[in-house]
Amino acid sequence: MPSDLDSQIAQLSRCEPISEAQVKTLCIKAREILIEEGNVQVVDSPVTICGDIHGQFFDLMELFAVGGWCPETNYLFMGDFVDRGFYSVETFLLLLALKVRYPDRMTLIRGNHESRQITQVYGFYDECQRKYGSSNVWRWCCEVFDYLALGAIVDGRVFCVHGGLSPSLASIDQIRAIERKQEVPHEGPMCDLLWSDPDDTITGWGLSPRGAGFLFGADITKNFAHHNALDLIARAHQLAMEGYKLMFDRMIVTVWSAPNYCYRCGNVASILELDEHLGQEYKVFSHAPMDVRSIPTKRPPPEYFL
Amino acid sequence: MSAAFLVPEHKLFESPNSRSIHVNSWVITASTNPISNAFECDAIQGSLGIPLPEMTFGNNILTLEHRPSGLKYSFTAADALGFVKKGELDDGDGGVKVNYADAWLKSRTDPSSNLTMPKTVATKPYDWTYTTMYTGHMEADESGFVPSWILSEDADSAYNIPIAELTRPDPILFYAEIPLFEDELHDNGSSALLVRIRVMPTCIFILCRFTLRVDNVLFRTWDARLYHSFSSEPPMVIRETSGWEAPYDVIKDRLPKRDDMTPLTDPNFISKALADTRRMSQTIGAKTGWRGIGTTLEYAILA
Repeated sequence: MPSDLDSQIAQLSRCEPISEAQVKTLCIKAREILIEEGNVQVVDSPVTICGDIHGQFFDLMELFAVGGWCPETNYLFMGDFVDRGFYSVETFLLLLALKVRYPDRMTLIRGNHESRQITQVYGFYDECQRKYGSSNVWRWCCEVFDYLALGAIVDGRVFCVHGGLSPSLASIDQIRAIERKQEVPHEGPMCDLLWSDPDDTITGWGLSPRGAGFLFGADITKNFAHHNALDLIARAHQLAMEGYKLMFDRMIVTVWSAPNYCYRCGNVASILELDEHLGQEYKVFSHAPMDVRSIPTKRPPPEYFL
Repeated sequence: MSAAFLVPEHKLFESPNSRSIHVNSWVITASTNPISNAFECDAIQGSLGIPLPEMTFGNNILTLEHRPSGLKYSFTAADALGFVKKGELDDGDGGVKVNYADAWLKSRTDPSSNLTMPKTVATKPYDWTYTTMYTGHMEADESGFVPSWILSEDADSAYNIPIAELTRPDPILFYAEIPLFEDELHDNGSSALLVRIRVMPTCIFILCRFTLRVDNVLFRTWDARLYHSFSSEPPMVIRETSGWEAPYDVIKDRLPKRDDMTPLTDPNFISKALADTRRMSQTIGAKTGWRGIGTTLEYAILA
């Protein structure tokens, strides 16, 4: 089978979708692997940590050009593979194929976009419909989403999660006890891990002004790190114009890996390389020049708007 | 058939991030740049006192300078965000919460729930939807004079925006789209402010449009249209401002195809759907009590 998988990886690397039947098989195999993983997947250094990709396929290729190809480089992607960009299908399936081919060298954890509800609003569902003419591929991918780990820990010292911390989870062992195989709930600890944000204007826990969701301050972050003997918390979820943003005396970092987000922000992206001593190197990169197919003309054509 | 216009003499200037036109007594410049970096965001955030939208185009600007009067009219993100409500929302501010807010809070506070609400600190309240009734802003000339806006009587067509002239396919001499901010409301919808301008042989026309979608809650738009006829004497700008609002499902029911939700992310579709439901969208809206609902027509003399 590896040769089959290798040819699918080659095909997906050219941004060509694989067949519906191949997607089905791939998703079944991925589930068999993911079901064995814990909620907090244990990962060894060295590893390269990546943030949101959001279907920006050609920028993912830039990322691999900067960070090295898998399996030569070990990767840990912190979720939000899909939605918003034009190539969520190819992006997610390529990462998933690499996961199945090299399970120990590719770690995928769940972002808040790896959800049925969110993907129906923000593009992945529509893209599957458009590229396959049915919602089967979307459905199989959503089933895989339910099995993705909620976090990862590198050498016991660097905790990785998509969003942030939860007031219901003081220790990493408590995260291990969550029943994760479900749609992302709207409330509770699992929701918090995928949705919450650090906030440097508060101390303690804050309530989001939107009416749902938590914000957490430096003290919460440092307590969690201390209690769990961590050097660093790495998370994604929020756009960082410089590609990454360190906060709270370098105790937490936001890693953002979608350059020129939504094809119009003009931001750079980054990946975080952890070496075998957990030394941190941030590699910053720009969007793919070859992504001409997806970049709308820079100047919108004149329009007789009223 | 003779042309209804003569193309006025004009000069165009271009650089990678900026374009200008000099036409009649006007100098118009549109600059579009990447979103503000962390340093710039901190500066704007410090002066405004609210968290900024995820995409704040702080270096984008549209400026119109009327040389005879020395008056300047501009559109910027920082000024637009200055109109976002800071502090507790009051009657008229049209504040909303995400649709699952009640369930979320209940899960944390219900005695039967096994999740405990931690002690939380107050976060600075502000309108997280970034609703802004922005119309651009006029700067005083050297003598400190700022023209005032006078309410137009609808009956007087001289003080109306002439749709017939604007729908005529005259050549567009200058066109620009200047995004000022955009935020995805943490995946609960979208909030965006976009300014568009077209300079025609006979006039200048600007649409500054705020579009808001809160998933499963509501749609809201705020439009500021500015029109200047090169033949107006004394020179005059006409401004129409209008606020629209409707419950989410009312607009969703107007989708051409039920399972294709993409039009709900298209400001043009939203604005048309709101216009088609004007008996509600221009009166009660989504029952938030937002003061922006309705339409106002004004003019200002530039002398």
